[in-house]
Amino acid sequence: MKFTYNWIKDYVDIKFSPEKLAEKLTMVGLEVVSLEHRDGDSVFEVEITSNRPDWLSVLGIAREAAVIAGVGLKVKVPNTVRKLRRLERLAIEVADKKDCPLYTARILTGVKVAPSPGWLKKRLELIGCRSVNNVVDITNYCLFELGEPLHAFDLDKINPGKIVVRRGKPGEKLVTIDGTLRSIGKDSLVIADTVKPLALAGIMGGRESEVTYSTTNILLEAAVFNPVLIRRQKQAQAVQSESSYRFERGVDAGIVEKASRRAAELIGEVCSGKDEGFVSFGLTKAKEKPVTLSPVNLRDISGIDIKIPKIKEILSGLGFKVRAKGKGLLAVVSPSFRQDVSLEEDLIEEVIRIYGYEHIPASLPKVLPAVTIKDNKALISEIKNILTGLGLNEAVTYSLIDSKILKSFAPLLRPVELMNPLSQEQGVLRTTLIPGLVRAIAYNLNQKQDCISLFECAEVFFERDSLPCEEPNLGLALSGAKKMLLNESAVKDELGMLNLKGIIEGVFMRLGIQAYEFVSHNHEPKADIYINNERIGWMQMLSQGLLDAVGIKGKNVFIAELSLKKIILFSHPEKKYRPLPKYPGIIRDISFILKKGESVKSILSALKENGSPLLRSLKVVDYYKGKQIPEGYRGLTLECVYASADRTLTEEEVAPVHSIICALLKEQFGAQMR
Amino acid sequence: MDIDIILAQAEIEIKEIGSRQELEQLRLKYLGRKGVVAQLTSAIPTLSSEERASFGQRVNSLKNKLSLLLEEKEKKFETGSDRGDRLYFDIGMPGIAQDIGHLHPLTQINDEICAIFNRIGFSTLEGPEIESEYNNFTGLNIPLEHPSREAFDTFYLKDHPKMLLRSHTSPVQVRAMKKYKPPLAVIVPGRVYRPDAVDASHSFMFHQVEGFMVDKGIKFSDLKGVLDLFARMVFGDDIKMRFRPHFFPFTEPSVEVDISCIICKGRGCSVCGRKGWLEILGAGMIHPNVFKHVGIDHKKYTGFAFGMGVERIAMLKYGINDIRLFFENDMRFLKQF
Repeated sequence: MKFTYNWIKDYVDIKFSPEKLAEKLTMVGLEVVSLEHRDGDSVFEVEITSNRPDWLSVLGIAREAAVIAGVGLKVKVPNTVRKLRRLERLAIEVADKKDCPLYTARILTGVKVAPSPGWLKKRLELIGCRSVNNVVDITNYCLFELGEPLHAFDLDKINPGKIVVRRGKPGEKLVTIDGTLRSIGKDSLVIADTVKPLALAGIMGGRESEVTYSTTNILLEAAVFNPVLIRRQKQAQAVQSESSYRFERGVDAGIVEKASRRAAELIGEVCSGKDEGFVSFGLTKAKEKPVTLSPVNLRDISGIDIKIPKIKEILSGLGFKVRAKGKGLLAVVSPSFRQDVSLEEDLIEEVIRIYGYEHIPASLPKVLPAVTIKDNKALISEIKNILTGLGLNEAVTYSLIDSKILKSFAPLLRPVELMNPLSQEQGVLRTTLIPGLVRAIAYNLNQKQDCISLFECAEVFFERDSLPCEEPNLGLALSGAKKMLLNESAVKDELGMLNLKGIIEGVFMRLGIQAYEFVSHNHEPKADIYINNERIGWMQMLSQGLLDAVGIKGKNVFIAELSLKKIILFSHPEKKYRPLPKYPGIIRDISFILKKGESVKSILSALKENGSPLLRSLKVVDYYKGKQIPEGYRGLTLECVYASADRTLTEEEVAPVHSIICALLKEQFGAQMR
Repeated sequence: MDIDIILAQAEIEIKEIGSRQELEQLRLKYLGRKGVVAQLTSAIPTLSSEERASFGQRVNSLKNKLSLLLEEKEKKFETGSDRGDRLYFDIGMPGIAQDIGHLHPLTQINDEICAIFNRIGFSTLEGPEIESEYNNFTGLNIPLEHPSREAFDTFYLKDHPKMLLRSHTSPVQVRAMKKYKPPLAVIVPGRVYRPDAVDASHSFMFHQVEGFMVDKGIKFSDLKGVLDLFARMVFGDDIKMRFRPHFFPFTEPSVEVDISCIICKGRGCSVCGRKGWLEILGAGMIHPNVFKHVGIDHKKYTGFAFGMGVERIAMLKYGINDIRLFFENDMRFLKQF
């Protein structure tokens, strides 16, 4: 909403500079977003919140300025006490008073339609309204000044005798002044004569009856329409006007007749129009419902004690009627233009807003709540910290995705679709975190990054049993090679499946998850991940097809996705101490070569079983392929630690067990000792 | 050759070397079979007899002095006062890089905000991103077909009428107040969605943190105190804060909260639009209608609520000028935080 400094000064004597006024308006809730000095005036643009339609007028803003300045309004609003001349030659019929609580019409004859005089043109143009002709400009002027949208019809283009406010009929059409042919249905409200629709009520007039330079007699409409109806119509017709903007927020029924009179006076002055009289149909006055304001409640809610005379002064200044109700309470009646005020809290806001939020002290709440709510946030934070400790970087990718891309990654789950997506690229909710992470990998590869390791903790969404569901997942993606400069040399290690496995094991270990398993088939680079025999995720090397789909060339990408919900479920954040070994162990290494078909995992578990109870730990300490190893074989070194909880073991005790282990390796797994 | 010069030169050479290897080379040079001393000694028979005695003495003395110098140097290597090349160390070499990852800047800001409120007694609570129209709107006193909904353009689900992607974290207010009884102090971080086309300052997905407190006797001045504490903890002690009246359907009174511009300290710059103030959050006293919807007696209890955009705070704090950077996940970006 735009207005000018001089226009405000027509209504109120303010002594502040435009800059000072802007600051003061901002601090009472009329946020000034721009202030421009032009043509000897200053143009303000303010952001009006949807609860204050009364601020969509110069008059409304002047009222606020008057309260700030501590002065009254210079009353310039025409007053209605003067007897109205009733218009006999026009009847008004309103089909449903809910659609149109108040309709008024005025006839002006002998109007000389011409370009607007300079002062009128200038004011409108300063606030960004195009000048059309003097009559149309006057209706717009009154709209901006008083907040009541007016419409002028060419009276001679209307079938005489009656104005009908009704819903549209099936098949009815109307060309509006913007030249658009619009279909009008039963959901539309129209202003019609006895034969045809003339205007889309509250939104836009019809082209046929618009005021032109040949117009001499006009019908001036001022009305109140149902806000919800106007809003729906505006959406259905995809058209927004200054009128609809005000009607859908609710116009002040109390200003309707005054606005009509103000326009008639200006048309008289500027266009020599003769006022033939006025007719109105519907409510003119709403019932007064006083709201009780307790100064004690005001103090308790705001935290500041404002004296009753000050409260009265502020509220009266804003147009409220305030009277004492006994027991220190106040009965407050809202003016017709403040339909937003219906509760005591609303009044409290009015008082402290004008009193100044800066005068309210800062305190800290005395009572700290006893309730502590438990949630998973802490554990998810810990998982994120473990992952960054393991060298991964956290990504945040979009939850919305193209359904085709999603389908190539996750063909089985049914995604949740959006009704009103911005575009097909963001048409559905993701069922997997992988596409987002893989795209981030592709992006980084394009940026010539050579070691990319990302993770994301976020919700995935899917349809299950006809219900939209969501669950938190953990996604991991690695690509490239880690280059490390060590003490002795530089090492380049291509990231792969075992990096991914190690990361996941690291997370499990820190969360106290022990009963996990990685299961793969046919030695392909993909595996399912189980905890307590329940599948909670998977990992794999991205297939060539998907690499092509995201445009990654010549690089491998390794991905994993796990259910965070399950990880949290199986985690044991409570730790328990196990006594440290009291007796030293005996360490024996075994180096051997092995055919590639055997899984190290099955070897380790067989050895552990047979070495029990003295074989305390068994781990792979070296792994090698190379010239000295025959084709189809790999070399391994195992470190066996033999120990006992109650004594120091002797060589004699360990030797037979170790022989069993070595024999098992040779006989059962075909290992050749080196 | 002058024996004194030989000695002086040898002294310098012995002093300068840094390894046993070099020491050994010097020993050979001076005392070896074809070394300097050997050469001098072999020259003795060529001298006249009266020269022979004194020259012989001087060569002998040189030999003794050199032996002593080399021995001393040897000892220095042994005691470590000059351990030489074997332990040569250059602290200017890069440390062996420990590959540490980085949390996303939004997570860091989010955690920082939540931690501040946790410290003053707020519990963290999360809610689903798919919400009912009731929790997102109606329960928060945002009626259907009211212009106030325009500020909350929303993605709806295709196959589920009245279900949507939450357009703010406020629905968790409704959930929490229905589930738990006051006193309540809750902080709610989360992702939210609005159909805004993506540009440098808009994103259809972003993050909010919502907070609210409900108890007997909670006042507007408490809101001011809590937020003032928060602003100073995030942006520093010299920050100024102001409350501007505003409108939100779910609070009454409602405010927008500005802090003095952290770039220009309130003098006016391009970041604050020459206003000297930066809007950082919206807040207010919980509307009685919200209490009615969740079944809390609004005559007995009052409360405040506030909400802020995490991207906004992160952009201000880190000086990031394009919101899209948060979602591109460029490693060079992520590793800065």
